[in-house]
Amino acid sequence: MYLLNFLIRRVLQGLVVLLIVSFAIFALLRVVPGDPARLIVGGMAPDEVVVQKAEELGLNDPIVVQYVRYLGDLARGDLGNSFFRPKSGATVGAAAYDDPSRNERAEVLDLILERIPLTLQLAGLSVVFALIISFPLGVAAGLNPGKWQDRLAFFSGSVFVSLPNFWLGIVLAQLFSIKLGILPSIGYKGFEYTILPAFVLAIGISPFIIRTLSVSIAQIMHEEFIAVAPLRGLKRPRIVVAHAIRNASIPLLNLFGIQLGILLGGVLVVELIFDYPGLGRLTINAVLQRDFPIIQGVAIFISAIFVFINIAVDLAASFIDPRLEY
Amino acid sequence: MSEDKTVLCVRDLTVGLDNDPAARILDGISFDLKSGEILGLIGEAGSGKTVLARALVKGLGAPLVTRSGAVHYKGADLLGLSERKLSKIRGKEIGYIGANPQGSLDPTIPVGNQIVEKLLSVSPGMSRKAATERALEVLAAVRIPSPEVRFHEYPFQFSGGMMQRVMIVDALVTNPAVLIADNITQPLDVTVAAQIIRLIRDLREQFSTAILFISSSLPVAETVADEVMVLQSGRIVEKATPTALVQNPQHDYTKSLLSRLPRIWGEGISGPEAADTRTLMTVEDVHRTYFVRKKGSFRGVNAVQAVRGVTLDIREGENIGIVGESGCGKSTLTRLLAWLESPQAGSIRFAGQDLSKLGAKDLTKLRQSFQLLLQDPYSSLPSRMPIGRIIAEPLLIHGLCKRSEIRGRVLAAMREVGLDPALENQLTVGLSAGQRQRINIARALVLEPRLMILDETLSALDQVEQSKLFEVFDRLQKTHGFTYIFISHDMALVRKVCHRVAVMYLGRIVEFADNNALFDNPAHPYSRALLSAVPTLDDHPFSSDEYLLEGEPPSPVHIPPGCSFRSRCPLAQEICGRVDPVAQVLPGGGSAMCHLVGQDAPARSLAAGK
Repeated sequence: MYLLNFLIRRVLQGLVVLLIVSFAIFALLRVVPGDPARLIVGGMAPDEVVVQKAEELGLNDPIVVQYVRYLGDLARGDLGNSFFRPKSGATVGAAAYDDPSRNERAEVLDLILERIPLTLQLAGLSVVFALIISFPLGVAAGLNPGKWQDRLAFFSGSVFVSLPNFWLGIVLAQLFSIKLGILPSIGYKGFEYTILPAFVLAIGISPFIIRTLSVSIAQIMHEEFIAVAPLRGLKRPRIVVAHAIRNASIPLLNLFGIQLGILLGGVLVVELIFDYPGLGRLTINAVLQRDFPIIQGVAIFISAIFVFINIAVDLAASFIDPRLEY
Repeated sequence: MSEDKTVLCVRDLTVGLDNDPAARILDGISFDLKSGEILGLIGEAGSGKTVLARALVKGLGAPLVTRSGAVHYKGADLLGLSERKLSKIRGKEIGYIGANPQGSLDPTIPVGNQIVEKLLSVSPGMSRKAATERALEVLAAVRIPSPEVRFHEYPFQFSGGMMQRVMIVDALVTNPAVLIADNITQPLDVTVAAQIIRLIRDLREQFSTAILFISSSLPVAETVADEVMVLQSGRIVEKATPTALVQNPQHDYTKSLLSRLPRIWGEGISGPEAADTRTLMTVEDVHRTYFVRKKGSFRGVNAVQAVRGVTLDIREGENIGIVGESGCGKSTLTRLLAWLESPQAGSIRFAGQDLSKLGAKDLTKLRQSFQLLLQDPYSSLPSRMPIGRIIAEPLLIHGLCKRSEIRGRVLAAMREVGLDPALENQLTVGLSAGQRQRINIARALVLEPRLMILDETLSALDQVEQSKLFEVFDRLQKTHGFTYIFISHDMALVRKVCHRVAVMYLGRIVEFADNNALFDNPAHPYSRALLSAVPTLDDHPFSSDEYLLEGEPPSPVHIPPGCSFRSRCPLAQEICGRVDPVAQVLPGGGSAMCHLVGQDAPARSLAAGK
């Protein structure tokens, strides 16, 4: 019952958030310079073609009408069509305005769905890497405040946070792909192509995880229930694993919900460096070409992921600690 | 086992600090604990009680270190054992219960699972099913209602008293030979503490455990222990049976401890007499209900009826005591009296003016006349403000006098409460709780109020500081004609200073009477139960065997129909389930909310016949 109430309430709240986000994006894209109709038909097209295209797309209607129409399409799962990308895959930027391929433009939803698995794979693997790096460092630091473990965690955290991901990506590609030849780094032909970019992303987010873990473990180790646990007959490994880390995982989960934004930002850059065919590269190309439907679609998609993951995070936290209620 | 029934033998235990070779937190402690015995240990705050409790099971953390001594258990010195060998004894054969039941278990795991976890940890090879059954069995033995349900509940769903029972289960579930109980009644209400003490006495027979019962209160230790040791600054200065200790103390420290104990009953003991003076504040049928969202529901709301119809008159220059268990609505009533919140129904009149009818400006002006003093002297003072400035603050807010006069008035107030005027420009860091409470008093005093509301103001202080502050309060009353409202759970304090006392139960004043009338001849069964639970060395007119309540007050969300005390009342009758009693005037001038008050005689004989 609790679960159902929770989900209904949070999903409704999430929809409101998405509505606001989508309107903000929609409105902002309409005020930046650049006439979509002109962009679609190409620079060589006569003016009347542009006017006709604008009429066809409904660009002459008031912005609110356009937005409502967009929402209606959205509700039916239609994110619109790309301005430039044809279904065939080639870009149409250079084709003439009356080239038939211009009318066969790709659906934004298809473009996103095609790439999202790769991006999720990249983000997921980088979180796994980050946890593998951070847990030993953070837990050891939290259990030994002021000792070498603490200093090691602090030091590595400082180094990691100071490494720019574009630099690290290039250096690692140089080392592992060119010198050693053990890991591929350009494009995507299989799972092994995800490893290097995921590692670069992991280095970027692990300092925050290390810090949160070490601080919350150190704090929890001072709690009364940890102090009396050995007197009650519990053994040290059990106390650390079943009680200290369990309690420290709640701040960690909350951090994860917030860090997601940083992670997605990192994905954009890293996908570009490694020429990884994910959502990030799609977005960057769309921005460069002013392909508004794609930008819009990606933004709404990402905010939906954001909302969804934060619901999941809060739900997980309230399962771990039933005192929490969202 | 040898003929000698000694199970734990402590010899010359000395504990110091790792950074100070000369420091002695415990100094040469030696004693024997025999099986089936309850050995009491009393000492004031800072005497080393908890350090001793933990040192016995090698549970000290930095900076404390054991310098010398031995703790013999079954032929081995516990202090010399490896962690691995020690873990076979600690928690299994030697149980430990601390003073903080609410913090002793992981808040994120149901209590039952944690007891099972402990049981499995100390007895490898036991099946989870057997451990669960054992835990349930002991939960029932400590009289936790519906153990099968509570087994799956989380620590935050337990009251302090119930949680302490859980911790007792946690310690006893392995059938230990020794139980170390470190001040286990300290955070609890008197009624609940009395229940726990009774439980400990019963359990000792059931489990034949040797118990080291550590307490900061001599009367508490006296009721349970076979022998009592007195700890002063890390040394045991006296050891005797409770009777010998009370009647014929040998050591000067014991004597001074005894002389400082507040007396409640006995020859020549009586409370201050109430005088019939002008009424200063009238509280009429005030109600306050809080609405809290029901957990796990979409729109459900719980109505917490914190104060349900309180009527009270406060006379000029008198001390009123408001007593009751935690959760009875004392603090909410305090907030209403101080007008921090307004009642949803009913009215409060101060000096003839209805507070709800005043505009913001008049209210601020009138607020000077009634001031609230809080319980916690640490969080109620800003830590980054000089003391003089803290005390000047109310004068600045109310703009009562010229800037040039402020300093003079602040210094005068500081002198009056016994603060060194040299502290004016210092911060509060490093001041004792007593000094801090003086700052609080001075801050209220500069406004020259007429009524001071003291919400547990003295409960954070030790006996010595308490009596010093009383002198301050008394002197201020004589010079300024103050009226005090003491909200307190400390019956001894109320007995000593209050003219009239209101007993609260579930948001109502069930009895309101003169001090002597209440303490010598209480009319409401709840008042009698409350008095029976007060730990004291005096001859108790209300034996706890006869009057002590079992269980805890019902939740203020689900108040039973009829008389709300009925569910715990030993005298409840048929009418109590149907009709909610109204306040009836007592012969002595007080009032009580009980159907049996009119028929005083049968009520008494019923109680006596039990």
